[in-house]
Amino acid sequence: MKKGILYLNQFFGQIGGEDKADFAPIIKDGVVGAGMILNSILDTAEISHTIICGDNFMGSNEDEAVDKILKYLEDKEFDIFFAGPAFQAGRYGNACGVICKAIKEKFDVPVISSMHIENPGVEMFKKDVYIFQGGDSAAKMKNDMTEMAEFGNKLLKGEVLKTAEEEGYYVRGIRREIYRADSKPANVRAIEMLLKKINGEDFVSELPIPELRRVEIAAPIKNLSEAKIAIVTTGGIVPVDNPDRIQSASATRWGRYSIVGMDRLANRESEAFKTIHAGYDPAAADADPNVCVPLDALRQYEKDGKIGSIHEYFYTTVGTGTTEAEAARMSKEMVELLIEDKVDGVILTST
Amino acid sequence: MKLEINNFPVSEVIFGEKFSYENGILTINKEEALKVVLEDEHITDADIVIAKPGDSTRIVPVKEAIEPRFRVNNGATFPGVTGKIERVGNGKTVALKNCSVLAVGKHWGSFGDGLIDMSGEGAKATLFGDLINICLVADTDEEFERHEQQKKNKALRWAAHRLAEYLGSVVKDLESVDKEVFELEPISKRNKKLNDLPGVVYVMQPQSQMEELGYNDLVYGWDTNRMLPTLMHPNEILDGSIISGSFMPCSSKWSTYDFQNCPTIKSLYGEHGKTINFLGVIMSNLNVALEQKERAAMGVQQIATTLGADAAILAEEGYGNPDADFIACFAALEEAGVKTIGMTNECTGRDGQSQPLVALDQKADAIVSCGNVSKLIELPPMETVIGELESLARDGLSGGWAHDEILGSSVKEDGSIIMENNSMFCGDRVLGWSTKQMKEF
Repeated sequence: MKKGILYLNQFFGQIGGEDKADFAPIIKDGVVGAGMILNSILDTAEISHTIICGDNFMGSNEDEAVDKILKYLEDKEFDIFFAGPAFQAGRYGNACGVICKAIKEKFDVPVISSMHIENPGVEMFKKDVYIFQGGDSAAKMKNDMTEMAEFGNKLLKGEVLKTAEEEGYYVRGIRREIYRADSKPANVRAIEMLLKKINGEDFVSELPIPELRRVEIAAPIKNLSEAKIAIVTTGGIVPVDNPDRIQSASATRWGRYSIVGMDRLANRESEAFKTIHAGYDPAAADADPNVCVPLDALRQYEKDGKIGSIHEYFYTTVGTGTTEAEAARMSKEMVELLIEDKVDGVILTST
Repeated sequence: MKLEINNFPVSEVIFGEKFSYENGILTINKEEALKVVLEDEHITDADIVIAKPGDSTRIVPVKEAIEPRFRVNNGATFPGVTGKIERVGNGKTVALKNCSVLAVGKHWGSFGDGLIDMSGEGAKATLFGDLINICLVADTDEEFERHEQQKKNKALRWAAHRLAEYLGSVVKDLESVDKEVFELEPISKRNKKLNDLPGVVYVMQPQSQMEELGYNDLVYGWDTNRMLPTLMHPNEILDGSIISGSFMPCSSKWSTYDFQNCPTIKSLYGEHGKTINFLGVIMSNLNVALEQKERAAMGVQQIATTLGADAAILAEEGYGNPDADFIACFAALEEAGVKTIGMTNECTGRDGQSQPLVALDQKADAIVSCGNVSKLIELPPMETVIGELESLARDGLSGGWAHDEILGSSVKEDGSIIMENNSMFCGDRVLGWSTKQMKEF
């Protein structure tokens, strides 16, 4: 029998009400209170332990609470983790989200919670946790616990999961293609949506536009003539043998190559640098890689004293078809090294 | 303009002495057909192979698909490609249905090429798994691009168009039972009933990103990169005025077959006079420079408003950089009060967590989303390969790779494959066939 752990707050863990909200986390063998419902419907696992923590304690001493709970679980074997349901209780929702996220990161087991749509924990944690669309009060306890348990059964049995909407949890920003069960083709869907839009009726876009993530623009460099500048490109300029085997499209790899002692990048014909980018006509960049990695122009700036110096490496990858998530990961890896080398500014060239 | 397409269903394709069509059986005299292919001296080696639905057959690298057609009494079937420039979309065209001519590299693939399985799970992932495919498998002397990732594939693509026209000619003197008639009254001559219905335009953004000529979709033989948005009659699209190019990652590609049979145009015709007044097609494009994108979006907006369009369906042939054109055009139409529906695919990554389009705008509030280019697809070996399987891994196809630390090569020793949807031949079917939809998980 597989094992599961359940997290409850002080109230549902039967420690006490608001006066016990500062209660530090404890771990108990077996199930407590409403955990009985979960345990009875969960036929693939049994709840071996219950963790109980006061909502205020988690809110005010998050690091301490999480550390303690992770320590409790270090020597326990478990396959799945549940928290809540938290209904519309904001602090409880936050606590469920915090601990689920931490458990998933440390132990890599599925984490499941349930909250009412107006619980702020939904927006904060829906990307990290399967959060089911729960009721607004404990009157819905049985229903919400049942949903969590049934989904837990599915996960533990390795069943093929349906869409977030069909399963009943909040969307997590994970989009995949499906073959529609009714085989309704795109032209028919488009005409239906068109007629609804024309007639001012409600329609559902198949691609809801997500909120944009903005990166704060860095403060300007105070003294450019003393600044160390690095060149980073998504234009796929690499040494001709592409030593790091960066992909020509949908890249997951990047490289950095020394430009020490070079006034400009020599080209493909002289067996120095070329582009491996599959998303644009390579002729110009192969003939003169400086059109993509403008080392020649920057060296002139360096000579003229407009910039302090050029960093000893240029960094490179391929942008075409590359996912935003991979691009963000690669740039974080690059930034770490750029900071270590005290680079003040980056010129990022595209294609 | 009135176009009558006479459809002749094909149930079987065989080789034989006499080039003929009888009772649904298309008989090809291979030698005679290859003569048409070899009219171009750049074709150095050619064969014709038939692949049927249900066969344990994998076809790769596929460069183009064309429905065999012939324009009766009237010049070239593909004007500017297989003959001189003459307007199409009017008169009689014959078509062999349920089959397509494929241009397949005998050895060499390129970035925009794709793969087709004729049975199993893979056959679901492309329309062409359901058709009888008349595969022109050929090699050429185009040495300048032999080892380039980007290939124009001109000799092969043109040969496939010649072959499709030649095959279509087999029914040129026959009468068919199944006739499709497409007719739209001139815009200024429509009656009150039509004019009272909401006016709708179909905005197409075919692939035109390559600055160098020869890779992009062609309209009457003209490179779409060198085009500004223009008004076209939908019949022209259905009747061979536009052919597919040789550049876009393949699941996003619109083959010539897709243009010839565009389901969205047929649906708009179906609604014409009932719920909408179908005004026509605005043919735009997808270019790489921001100024070009802005100019095209502005042009589409201008034509739509000049026509008095109330609504539009907008479709893009591509993803990534072209998303910027798609969203710019969407926003421009909405800003002009044209209620717009977008049709596209997405690139959400193998884990599904990436931003679905590279450009987003809250104005793009109605989208039909047809697939994820980056979905990983694993398929078992097939008994027969038409073309060369290794090309998927070796030649830089957009959804294949030679090496990956975890996944290894796209092509395994036993003939099984792992690839991104990117290289599934015309897999995302944004012109309307797609029964796929993107969902949250």
